[in-house]
Amino acid sequence: MLGRALAVATLALVILAAPASAGIAPDAAHSPNAEDIRTSYWVMLIVAFAVGIPLIAGLLLAARRFRARSETDPEPRRLTAGRGVIGRAGAVLGAIAVAIFVFGVVMTGDAREAEADESAESLDIDVIGQQWLWRFEYPDSQSETIATVFSYNELVVPVDATVNLSIDSTDIVHRWFIPELGGQVEAVPGEVVETSFRADEEGVYEGQSNQFSGTGYPAMRAWVRVVSQEEYDQYLSDLTENLATAQEEVAQAAEDAEAEAAAGEVAE
Amino acid sequence: MTPPSVAERHPEVVTRGVPATRAGWIETATSADHKAVAKLWIGTSMTFLAVTAVLFALTRVQLIVPDSTILVPEVFNRILTATSVTAIVLFAVPFLIGLIGYIVPLQIGARSMALPRLNQLAYWLYAAGAFMIYASFLYTVPETVLTPLPPLSDDVFSPSNGVDAWVGGVGLATLGLVCFAINLVATLRNMRAPGLAWRRAPIFTWAARAIAYILLVAGPAMLAALTMLTIDRHFDGVFFDPGEDGEPLLFSHLSWIFFTGCHTILVVGAVAVISEIIPTFSRKPLFSHSAAAGSVVAIAFLGMLAWMQNMYAAPIPEGFAFLAMAAAVGLLVPVGLLFFNWTATMWGGSVAARAPLGLSLAAAIALGVGLGGQLMTSVIPVGLQLENTTAAQQDTIMVIVGFTLAVFAALHYWLPKISGRLVAEGPAKLASGLVLGGALIYAFAMFFAGLDGQPVDVFRYYEDNGLSTLNLIASIGAFFLAIGVLVELGNLAASYHGGRPVGHDPWGGSTLEWFALSPPPPHNFDAVPDVRSAEPLRDIREAIREREAAYVAPAPLERTAPPPPEPVPAAPPAAEPEAPAESKPPVQTNGDDSSIS
Repeated sequence: MLGRALAVATLALVILAAPASAGIAPDAAHSPNAEDIRTSYWVMLIVAFAVGIPLIAGLLLAARRFRARSETDPEPRRLTAGRGVIGRAGAVLGAIAVAIFVFGVVMTGDAREAEADESAESLDIDVIGQQWLWRFEYPDSQSETIATVFSYNELVVPVDATVNLSIDSTDIVHRWFIPELGGQVEAVPGEVVETSFRADEEGVYEGQSNQFSGTGYPAMRAWVRVVSQEEYDQYLSDLTENLATAQEEVAQAAEDAEAEAAAGEVAE
Repeated sequence: MTPPSVAERHPEVVTRGVPATRAGWIETATSADHKAVAKLWIGTSMTFLAVTAVLFALTRVQLIVPDSTILVPEVFNRILTATSVTAIVLFAVPFLIGLIGYIVPLQIGARSMALPRLNQLAYWLYAAGAFMIYASFLYTVPETVLTPLPPLSDDVFSPSNGVDAWVGGVGLATLGLVCFAINLVATLRNMRAPGLAWRRAPIFTWAARAIAYILLVAGPAMLAALTMLTIDRHFDGVFFDPGEDGEPLLFSHLSWIFFTGCHTILVVGAVAVISEIIPTFSRKPLFSHSAAAGSVVAIAFLGMLAWMQNMYAAPIPEGFAFLAMAAAVGLLVPVGLLFFNWTATMWGGSVAARAPLGLSLAAAIALGVGLGGQLMTSVIPVGLQLENTTAAQQDTIMVIVGFTLAVFAALHYWLPKISGRLVAEGPAKLASGLVLGGALIYAFAMFFAGLDGQPVDVFRYYEDNGLSTLNLIASIGAFFLAIGVLVELGNLAASYHGGRPVGHDPWGGSTLEWFALSPPPPHNFDAVPDVRSAEPLRDIREAIREREAAYVAPAPLERTAPPPPEPVPAAPPAAEPEAPAESKPPVQTNGDDSSIS
């Protein structure tokens, strides 16, 4: 008896240690669609416990209460389903199931994308997954030399702007997932999937692909850095400049190499 | 087949044409007896359960600490791939096939399966598939985890022959499962005992029927996917090549139909075993036999229909996602009704606290936790958050653990029928505690890690993820789980030959398999009783009891004639009451009344 009590206590302690170290909800939401996901999560957590605990507890209670006292107990009464008992139980469960389904349908509406907000600025970003990094392409290059402004693994966006993501993949199937900014979206090659978020607070939000993609899969992390509009403009112009410089350097290096090769030929 | 009555050493009847007895293993491997084939299925799949437990523990060794370098990524991914395919395709479904192959013909009073050779073929296809998958350790193991989703698995991204071995092995095993399903449908339609209408069929037989139809839907879907993948890989096919307007999503659909089918099979099998054990050990009939049978069928139907609940994040039309959600949420009704049914069955009963019942309750708890978690994940917004994180993965693992506990319960319950011996209950108690406790620890820790965004299938996580404590706890739980499984497997192996011998019906079961001898002879039954209810053996017991009660010994004969002329010394009493030979039930028994008393 003591041994069993000890085992149960240890089990409870260890199980409770888990939420204590992490909290029992996903990280706080920072986008309206993620907000809806959090709400659904809480409701469903409560529903799952409210439905599951009575079902399991009833089973254990019955097993305990009607335990046979000896091998020679008289045969128990053959109680079987009376009229409608199963029907009533089924109706209760069915009503719960229908309620969950309706709730799910209602919540799905705003869970995949941030609801439109006319007053907010909007921004279109192409997100391209490939083994094993994320590439972000920003809109409207201001520079003449740089056709597309892009960055890898870190996406910088302004706060309170609706960011429309077009998610694609160049090789195999990946998944875009930043827990604090919304749900998961598969990046399927050959198919562009739209989603969006609107971050309400500056900060860095971290995520990682969670579709297995081979050896480098855990390295496929992504960071979304949310900054003020001014910082964003600054970042974009710096990025453009850096890219232009890098492009020039590459061109220069190629030219040098060509010249060197030519010189080598002449020398021969 | 050598008749069992031919004496080996000193034959008193010499016959011609009786083949010599071959070595035991040849007999077993070549016998078309459904029981011999089923033993092969069960033995092989239990071996793979041990392999699964060890591989699973190995993956958790890697994840004890962040940034772990115990295993290199390639090796970890290979182990992961092997774990998932072994757990589902080589252990879980085949075990259930073996159990069905042994028990269901006995439960329906048949002397064999309808197509004994197809039964053998099914097993050997599965064995060949298992060999092919494991032979890939000799060259290159695939690194594709549970489903080799193209384009990752096509010849560009996985040029090694590991994927081909995977495709071939899983294909052969699936073909075996489909062959068995065809055989099972034929058997169940044609070979039921007289009077065994479906409304009187045991729940496990209902489950067998549901499982057969699931396999007939899910198996060919997987075979189609594997065929197309092979064509893509080797014959310039473009079924899944997005560059040529192929559709990787098609493979997702087909493989999820198969794996969701397997998952549904596990649930159906586990609840059916529990539904057999609880009434027997409560000494009461099921509270509602028809509701239990209906629930089993509903789980099979809805579970199969919900395959797209794994694809909420994929580009599928929203209507399909709603359909999947409706089916997945709808599962609450049959599963909840079954729990209610079990509780009501024990209510007012006389519950014997034996190992099969304890293991069944442990299985019910694990299933309840796993299916409760899946209820959460099946709601689309929650699914978008939890899918493909460890929070959703632990639900599936809890269901597999629940199934494994039901497997142990089933073996404790039916091994006395298979080998005539009882399985030791002490180690089973320890093992069920370890398995259920370990699984709960693992599941809770992984649930919270998943909330923080830990993806499935990673070979490392980072120190700055804040997941270190949770993963440590999960690994400890997983080790308990693996040890528990190995302890129980050892217990079963030791008890198979070394357990305490018991009679033909140690539990007072009420279905037909307990009417046969233990172990049953090759032809199962000398005679089969007319089935008049869902509990034929109970009817027989009742009939015996009634006749015994109603039996009135005939009055001793009176002497009517005068005493004989000669004096007779010590005449035996003229009328001894006849032995109650007439009190036999209206059926022929196997010549051993202990099976029905």
